[in-house]
Amino acid sequence: MASKFAGRRNLDFLLYEVHDIEGLFSLSYFEDHSRQTCDLAIDTAMKLARNLLYPYFKEMDEREPVFEEGQVKVHPIVKTMMKQWGEGGWLSSSLPFEVGGQQLPVAVHMACSHLFGAANFPATGYSGLTTGAAHLILSHGTDEMKDMYIPKMLAGLWQGTMAMTEPQAGSSLSDLASRATPTGRGYYKIRGQKIFISAGDHDGVENVVHMMLAKIDGGPPGVKGISLFLVPKKRPEADGTLEPNDVTATTVYHKLGYRGCPITQLSFGDGDSCRGYLVGEPHRGLSYMFQMMNEARLGVGMQAASIASAAYYASLEYAAQRLQGRKLSSKDPSLPQVPIIEHPDIRRMLFFQRAITEGSLSLLLQCALYADLARAGDVRDRERYELLLDLLTPVAKSYPSENGILSVSQGLQILGGYGYCREFPLEQYYRDIRIHAIHEGTTGIQGMDLLGRKVMMKSGRALEFFAGEVQKAIGEAEAFEELKPYCTRLQEALEKCRAATMHRLTFAMKGQMEIFLADATLYLELFGILAVAWQWLLQAVAASKGLRDDCSDRNKNFYKGKLHTMKYYFHYEVVKIQGLAARLLESDALMVEMDNSLFDD
Amino acid sequence: MNVAVLLKQTPDTESVIRIASDGKSVVTDDLKWVVNPYDEFAVEAALRLKEKHGGSVTVISCGPQRVVESIRTALAMGADTGVLIDDPALEGSDSLGVAMALAAAVKEINPDVVLCGSRAVDYDMAQRGPMVAELLGWPHLAMAVSMESDGKTVTIDRPIEGGKVVLESSLPAVVTFGGSHAVWNPRYASLPGIMKAKKKPLAVKKLADLGVDGSQAGTARVTMTSLEMPVARAAGKVIDGGLDTAGKATELVRALHEEAKVI
Ligand SMILES: Cc1cc2nc3c(=O)[nH]c(=O)nc-3n(C[C@H](O)[C@H](O)[C@H](O)COP(=O)(O)OP(=O)(O)OC[C@H]3O[C@@H](n4cnc5c(N)ncnc54)[C@H](O)[C@@H]3O)c2cc1C
Repeated sequence: MASKFAGRRNLDFLLYEVHDIEGLFSLSYFEDHSRQTCDLAIDTAMKLARNLLYPYFKEMDEREPVFEEGQVKVHPIVKTMMKQWGEGGWLSSSLPFEVGGQQLPVAVHMACSHLFGAANFPATGYSGLTTGAAHLILSHGTDEMKDMYIPKMLAGLWQGTMAMTEPQAGSSLSDLASRATPTGRGYYKIRGQKIFISAGDHDGVENVVHMMLAKIDGGPPGVKGISLFLVPKKRPEADGTLEPNDVTATTVYHKLGYRGCPITQLSFGDGDSCRGYLVGEPHRGLSYMFQMMNEARLGVGMQAASIASAAYYASLEYAAQRLQGRKLSSKDPSLPQVPIIEHPDIRRMLFFQRAITEGSLSLLLQCALYADLARAGDVRDRERYELLLDLLTPVAKSYPSENGILSVSQGLQILGGYGYCREFPLEQYYRDIRIHAIHEGTTGIQGMDLLGRKVMMKSGRALEFFAGEVQKAIGEAEAFEELKPYCTRLQEALEKCRAATMHRLTFAMKGQMEIFLADATLYLELFGILAVAWQWLLQAVAASKGLRDDCSDRNKNFYKGKLHTMKYYFHYEVVKIQGLAARLLESDALMVEMDNSLFDD
Repeated sequence: MNVAVLLKQTPDTESVIRIASDGKSVVTDDLKWVVNPYDEFAVEAALRLKEKHGGSVTVISCGPQRVVESIRTALAMGADTGVLIDDPALEGSDSLGVAMALAAAVKEINPDVVLCGSRAVDYDMAQRGPMVAELLGWPHLAMAVSMESDGKTVTIDRPIEGGKVVLESSLPAVVTFGGSHAVWNPRYASLPGIMKAKKKPLAVKKLADLGVDGSQAGTARVTMTSLEMPVARAAGKVIDGGLDTAGKATELVRALHEEAKVI
């Protein structure tokens, strides 16, 4: 395995130089934190990543979960990992002090989860879901639920899940069929089947707490009738014992990648004795679940960026060592072969990997900062931060996921035939990263969310705020001569996005919803390139400042590398906006006004 | 049981080390600093003693302000207090000068036992523990891979060629640690530990505060005259594939004899 999976210098740069998270420490909510506590947290996360997670990256893939005697069995290290995360306070790091959390900025929490994910993404499935489920109980659960479940979950002893998907209801949650029947005794009787539930059952924990969507008998149809229930695998009794709650794992799926973490099929209430406890108000479950989903979407984006990071460093290390071929300028066969990093085509692939990885990371940390400011910033600005976060969530989920796949693929390409072999880690990264464009809402669903909801919400104010942020970055970058051409390019990209948005909206205004959203995924793609270009310009500003202030040789190389990657991004990636915009500005309905008989052959 | 741990801050073993233009120091500008891994084993051993016997763990270190970060790391792992000796007089000093400062700080807190790494991963002097023991007039047990104490005596294991030796001494004593990460498995700082560490006492002292004569401790008896990187490995040599087997063998023997000069 490669010696490096994540760049610590890069994280510091993004957190402190680009996003200036030190500004958060002057807000009263974060006043107990400082650069020192955050650095210590990140250093410790790095140690855990290096010593506890990375050594099991391959082994957990090879020894995938098995379903035996009605129980899902996972690699024994999972138990240790959950315990370490629990005892170390990692599962509750960004939760408030009063519930035993450490009130760490979300940006720092995300930075730590980046290190964990880059070291061993499948392992983070267990922790991410537990934190998300605990947070959901904390936000909407009863005091009794909080007392009974949260401490065990945050200690890493009980697993949390997100139980939504059913065979007939994947993207379309309005079609859920799981039922909840009131009993008048403080609980509902639950019946239903769930599929693809991550960490839905395993022997690394004592209990599993499902945050499950189901419909209460007689409730309204569609999404308006969805409620949220807490359904434990085992019910904690008053005396502390755990009673089986009629939740059965029926199978574990065999997946392309992400094999260190099981996804399970679950059956609730086969014996008519499964109890579920209503969380919040009846029929409002989906809106509650969106809290967990939105956090999870940023988490998915972060895991994609983290896998891309690990793949990048593995490819970079390989490219510097592998000798193959000679420079075109010196074909003399008696000369030794050169390391492949000397070939422009290899460099292009490396810069592609780096631009995607570090651009995605920057966007994700930007979103995390908005989450922190929406919670703790000036009350007059909170709505703006919330809207920016809402708008950017589908982008920060999809861009790293889709481009991460391409980026890891290029990384594998750099290793040639070795990249395709299991002796090298690239093939696993390639398999692992593929999930991120699917779970937590497919890219198609994110595209419709962006164009169909987010862009239009509050009469387009989120989009205006976003344009304002881009404009602000351009303003800052104009102070540096070297960056001026890129200010122009970003301005043009923003205009293209505006024009494409307006054009697509004309279909919505005419009520032609199918045509309006037919190319929503392309719109998302364009938006993603724009958002990451904005982040690269911000990084270039920070790097230019670093170079302007006196700095060491190594820092100089680092900043120059940043500027070069920014240039790569504008010259090779931002240009793609032209093609996407050209398509989005057309008015045909090729994918709508057609008959499926066209597929006959 | 009160334990003192001597802790040195060293460059992260994964840092890229570059030699400065003077040829006898390293460029420190953008190094990442960590707790010397062997001292981290000592912190772990100290915390285990505290868990068993109660008492407190004090971490003592010499160096500039940046060392505070490493002391806080040990506090976040569970140590109770820190002492940093930050005195410009020590800048040009050697192992003995540092040992004088450390020994003086140890005397002030008068612990039952002093623990530290047997070596530091930067310059590998392996002097600090023995020198501090000598200055204190305490027994020194070197290169421990395990340690037990009943509060009156201390016992260590040390691996030796083909076996191990068990050593025992009365307290107070100085124990230095060998072994590896896998042997000691030092605990990770927890996030609550990190928050608590912020509020734990950390005193910064000058040599004068400890009653140490700066001109004595600051005078180097041993000086570093040069630092060199390992010689870069030369490219391998491939014997001409056009030769037959006997020819290849002859060529190999010639190359080993005349070029590599190993036979
Ligand atoms: C490894 C893994 C882990 C998972 N973990 C969980 C979990 O923990 N909890 C959980 O509840 N679920 C989980 N899932 C389920 C996951 O969220 C769903 O697979 C995903 O939302 C897609 O649903 P589906 O598989 O039914 O596909 P479908 O919804 O059938 O989608 C198939 C294709 O159709 C497209 N499509 C669907 N509807 C539309 C539409 N209206 N317009 C345009 N295109 C559309 C989709 O974009 C997709 O390309 C997991 C899945 C996997 C593979």
